[in-house]
Amino acid sequence: MSATPIETTSAPRAVELGASAPWFAVFKRELRQYFRSPIAYGVAFALFIFLGFYFNGYLSQVNGQLPADATLIPSIITFLMFLIAPLLTMRLIAEENREGTLEVLMTMPMSESQFIIGKFLAVWAYYTILLVISLVFAVLLNTVGTPDWGAAVGAYVGGWLYGGAVLAITMIFSALSEDQIVSAFLGSATILVLYLANTAASAISTQFPAIAEIVRELGLSAHYDATMSQGILRLEDVLYFVFLIIAALFITTRIVEIRRWRS
Amino acid sequence: MIEVEHLTKRYGGFTAVNGISFQASRGVTGFLGPNGAGKTTTMRMLTGYLPPTSGTARVAGFDIFNESIKVRQQVGYLPESVPLYRDMTALGYLMYIAEIRGVKHRRDRAMDVLERVGLAKRADSQIRTLSKGMKQRVGLASTLVHDPAVLILDEPTIGLDPIQVLELRDLVRELGQKHTVLFSTHILSEAEQVCDNLVIINGGNIVAQGAPTVLRGDLERGGRVLVRANAPVEALLPIVRQAEGVSAVEIAQDGVIATPASLSVDPRPAIAAAVVSAGISLTELRPVAVNLEEIFLELTRQAVAVAPAEAAHEESAEVTE
Repeated sequence: MSATPIETTSAPRAVELGASAPWFAVFKRELRQYFRSPIAYGVAFALFIFLGFYFNGYLSQVNGQLPADATLIPSIITFLMFLIAPLLTMRLIAEENREGTLEVLMTMPMSESQFIIGKFLAVWAYYTILLVISLVFAVLLNTVGTPDWGAAVGAYVGGWLYGGAVLAITMIFSALSEDQIVSAFLGSATILVLYLANTAASAISTQFPAIAEIVRELGLSAHYDATMSQGILRLEDVLYFVFLIIAALFITTRIVEIRRWRS
Repeated sequence: MIEVEHLTKRYGGFTAVNGISFQASRGVTGFLGPNGAGKTTTMRMLTGYLPPTSGTARVAGFDIFNESIKVRQQVGYLPESVPLYRDMTALGYLMYIAEIRGVKHRRDRAMDVLERVGLAKRADSQIRTLSKGMKQRVGLASTLVHDPAVLILDEPTIGLDPIQVLELRDLVRELGQKHTVLFSTHILSEAEQVCDNLVIINGGNIVAQGAPTVLRGDLERGGRVLVRANAPVEALLPIVRQAEGVSAVEIAQDGVIATPASLSVDPRPAIAAAVVSAGISLTELRPVAVNLEEIFLELTRQAVAVAPAEAAHEESAEVTE
């Protein structure tokens, strides 16, 4: 038809397709999203207000009499992850599911795993930024005493891995439920259970020592509070968190896949 | 190019798509059917979103199941709900899609397609601030970013105002000149205007396919006929009624309308012979204009009449398993 030449002039460039890294596109969009999300700012605000007051209290308590402990802040952050992680991850997949954008993405040349990895790396990167900002407290400590920097490095690296694992686990629930509140509650409860496994283990350690040991090893605190937060970096603890991340991402991928096939 | 062969999707005991086969080549193919007919399910299978229960299809030459990624590279798909990220700008969204698809010169390409859908001026507007018709066009633009061979559009005109509908139809028709467009709708006049080819689906089965004019011709052949003659209507009526293949007659303005006994038999020769042999000169004998609405109602009514027996379902289930 006569309209064809007009078309070619309005779109002179032929479309060039290059190698694509869809996960990176997802990662960038999602990370940018955190800097525009009121929830992410709210979480950061609440976290640093809390840390600030706590840190202040700690300083006045020790009053220069104890050695300055730079592992304190990462330890508190890891404890608070049962609240922080669900708030950061609840939106990730639930929203795409609800808005239907997932359907569009899953008809593009991108696998579920690339999508999930992009999402996860974005939230982990945001968490990393929070962790880096919290180094301010370590710098402050340095002015009032001489912290054990070896222990601090262990605690921060450990806290980073710990955070990754917890975020990956709570992300599962974002894939499971389209309702963000439901996904946040389920995620929070799961992390709390994993966190308190240590306490549960102690409670049954006299009657069932073998079971108690297994429960303890499965829980989060056994791999952080007792070791990393003291500055002890053990390979088995690192592997524990890495395994949790991989397993959680795998489960999330499968859930997204199954939900798609059943839709 | 889309080639669908015995494509079936079952959910438990429910058959959403029942072994359908059709082809679509360059141009606009209308995928027509009432709500719940299996249009969306079929489209989701063609885009690689849903795996078929049995049967297969090739899109742009690639198998939808075994070469899903290649199919996805060749297809632009717009779901019925037009999902968009409301907090992105139109340009930002298209660049995001372009990046996922590995398109180079993303900004230029995104601007090109925005221009194509007439939205270049709103490139930097947040999607949430756009009107429904504009959102629809952003969605359409997103399917064009990688210049796909095949476009699959699920009811793209739903919920638009009449002017927006007209604009979108023009755009779809234009796209049909370069691409293979599969366009679903349940609005018949729309299908008739926009599509070069129609596939009519109901209850998961294809009930008719062909060019709109051919489909109309098919039905006209077995459709109602207007008879006019140089005689009073009262004289004409009994003659036409007794003609072979006529099941009913009624009086219309200065003529009679005959309803044929069966869809496959054209009653016109018999009527003509009867009238002429009665010594009346025939002045007019033509099909009463049939539109797609009537074709559609006729076809879906037939399907409903067949469905309760479930015979067809049972048979095809045995064949495929």
